[in-house]
Amino acid sequence: MSGGVDSSVAAAMLVEQGYDVVGATMKLFCHDDDLPDRPCCSLDSVNDARRVCQSLGVPHYVLNLESAFGRDVVENFVNEYASGRTPIPCVRCNTFTKFRDLVLKADGIDAKWIATGHYARTIDGELHRGVDHSKDQSYFLWGIDRSVLGRMLLPVGSQTKAETRATAHKLGLEVVAEKQESQDICFVPDGDHTKIIRQRLGADAPALADGPFVLSNGSRVGTHGGFARFTIGQRRGLPGGFREPMFVVAIRPDDRAVVIGPREELLGRGVVARSVNWLVDAPRVGDRVSLQVRHRAPAAAAEIIRLDGAEIELALDEPVAAITPGQSLVIYDGERVLGGGLIERAAGRRTPLPVRAA
Amino acid sequence: MPEPIYLDHAATTPVRAEVLEAMLPFYGPKFGNPSSVHRWGRDARTALDEARERVAHCLRATADEICFTSGGTEADNIAILGTWRARRSEGRRGIVTTPVEHKAVLETVHQAAHEGADERICRMSRDGVVDVESFSALLGTDTSIASAMWVNNEIGTIQPIPDLASAAKASGALFHTDAVQAFGKIAIDSRAIPFDVLSISGHKIGAPKGIGAVFIRRGTVIEPLFHGGAQDRGRRPGTENVAAVIGFARAAELAVAEREEECSRLQAMRTKLEEAILARVPDAIIHGRGAGLRAPHILNVSVPGVESESMLMALDLRGIGCSAGSACQSGSVSPSHVLHAIGVTPDVAGAAIRMSIGSLTTDAAIQRVSEVFPALVEKARGVARVS
Repeated sequence: MSGGVDSSVAAAMLVEQGYDVVGATMKLFCHDDDLPDRPCCSLDSVNDARRVCQSLGVPHYVLNLESAFGRDVVENFVNEYASGRTPIPCVRCNTFTKFRDLVLKADGIDAKWIATGHYARTIDGELHRGVDHSKDQSYFLWGIDRSVLGRMLLPVGSQTKAETRATAHKLGLEVVAEKQESQDICFVPDGDHTKIIRQRLGADAPALADGPFVLSNGSRVGTHGGFARFTIGQRRGLPGGFREPMFVVAIRPDDRAVVIGPREELLGRGVVARSVNWLVDAPRVGDRVSLQVRHRAPAAAAEIIRLDGAEIELALDEPVAAITPGQSLVIYDGERVLGGGLIERAAGRRTPLPVRAA
Repeated sequence: MPEPIYLDHAATTPVRAEVLEAMLPFYGPKFGNPSSVHRWGRDARTALDEARERVAHCLRATADEICFTSGGTEADNIAILGTWRARRSEGRRGIVTTPVEHKAVLETVHQAAHEGADERICRMSRDGVVDVESFSALLGTDTSIASAMWVNNEIGTIQPIPDLASAAKASGALFHTDAVQAFGKIAIDSRAIPFDVLSISGHKIGAPKGIGAVFIRRGTVIEPLFHGGAQDRGRRPGTENVAAVIGFARAAELAVAEREEECSRLQAMRTKLEEAILARVPDAIIHGRGAGLRAPHILNVSVPGVESESMLMALDLRGIGCSAGSACQSGSVSPSHVLHAIGVTPDVAGAAIRMSIGSLTTDAAIQRVSEVFPALVEKARGVARVS
């Protein structure tokens, strides 16, 4: 329970449905004194979660998962940026923290179910998109252990955000009913992710050092202040003076280069992913699926053309923009999440190439 | 669920009926400000002075040596910062303390260090007792104040306060002891033991939260932390919390009067619980057990492999309230600095559960915990094996 409206309403709905609910808030990182007031993870939010539980008449605990979260999520976040990739810490938090470590805590108190405020649904032991597609969070859940699905309860996934707020009012949870949701990463409260990279890797980390802007033909067109400040598809902070809009199309940590190019260079006709995890029995080469390469992107039709243990390659029917190493590839069959993986790179259509070692 | 069992008396205790009764008039007709000249003021003032004498009597001190505070933390702050600031012009910069102090002492010593003090932390035995030799070796002619708690709040070990106080006095340093957990458990005689400053707290002995006292031996100079009035001889300005002071005095008297009988009752219950746990969980580690001298109300046990966070939840869900380590601001459990300081490995420290017994504890409660705790351990170990 983050102290936000979704997990609070989730808890309240379960209490109404007759479950024996135990509230838990995960303490994931150290709260600095200068942390601004934020919608989640701040001390006030812990207090809000506690108050919600108190009003629901259920116990509430704050669980210290700081060191595991630091190891599994924050460290990986920093290392991914240092390797020129763009990580999604929420995916790893779901995989390792919420639906593994927290599940172990649940085991410790004999809790059969684990409930969260995610906008997604579990149906017959399978994961589905949330009913409210504009809030759907199934994209972030592909990495969890399949065996946990049968224990997951996602009460708000079956309703819209507006309905969740209405439920909050109806149940008297005024403390949280109109709380704004956070768009930030919880441990990057001010939106500047380079701070934590500097903190962990030092100010002289190559990812934060000056490097060249280059075109895909190799010509140097400027200097940037550290490739960790960029992600594929980014336009902000690039040199000007081009006839058409320019985008980051690649990041090369080896020579610290940020490659920029016009929109067509951003398009990928295929995608290669590794660390693949299936939430259903693994599909087969030749299967038609839909996929998403980032949160809120429209689903794209594709065909599985290679499946190699934990690696997968898909060919897209239509090109997709900004396929970004480090982001998640999530594979759907309609509303149903089949599985996902970490994007290694965009690939050419129907020309499988060996995957570079991570 | 059966009747809940409160095993966290070292955290706080309920206000005793006698204490509440003594306090009530001061929330009603005797509401006056002790500094006022009229009858209402006189009523309050007389009661306050009398209460001060009664608290002093509990320490074999004189009334002028008792300064009321908002609790143990403020008492520790006055004791350390007050003496450090008063003496720093003499060139005494050293502050000697132990690594197992309550944060109210440790953080206050850090504050003094920010103000120029030289912080020196002594070694501990693995049983949780201050190494007197190490403590003494840190004392010198430049030592301003030395501070050591009488009873450790996490593991209950009793520190050799007479020896430490004598060593500090011999070096010319002032000696402070945080006696928050000791008061009511150990006889405290200010005429027999040469401490200069001593902290006690009300809510650990059946008085309300928000009241405590600091004993300041006659002649000891303290720079006040607050400014703005002449109350308490200028050592602690601010209108006195009269009702709480009255309650505190009553609770202190009761605690001292009942000390021997209550301690043997607690000791017997603690021994029974400890033996029951060890019988069913032979590898359980009772922290501080080897120390010889332990206050009778604290039992701190680690069961290797059974982490305290889940255990605390499981106990609470069965109506048994315990604690672990020290709670941080958010309410989550942080690793114990005390266990770390006495050489307990992080794994074992992360399994520590503190049970502290007191006025609410009955034989029946001990019996039930003796059954529930080992059962939870066995179940947790079963879970751990499966996953």
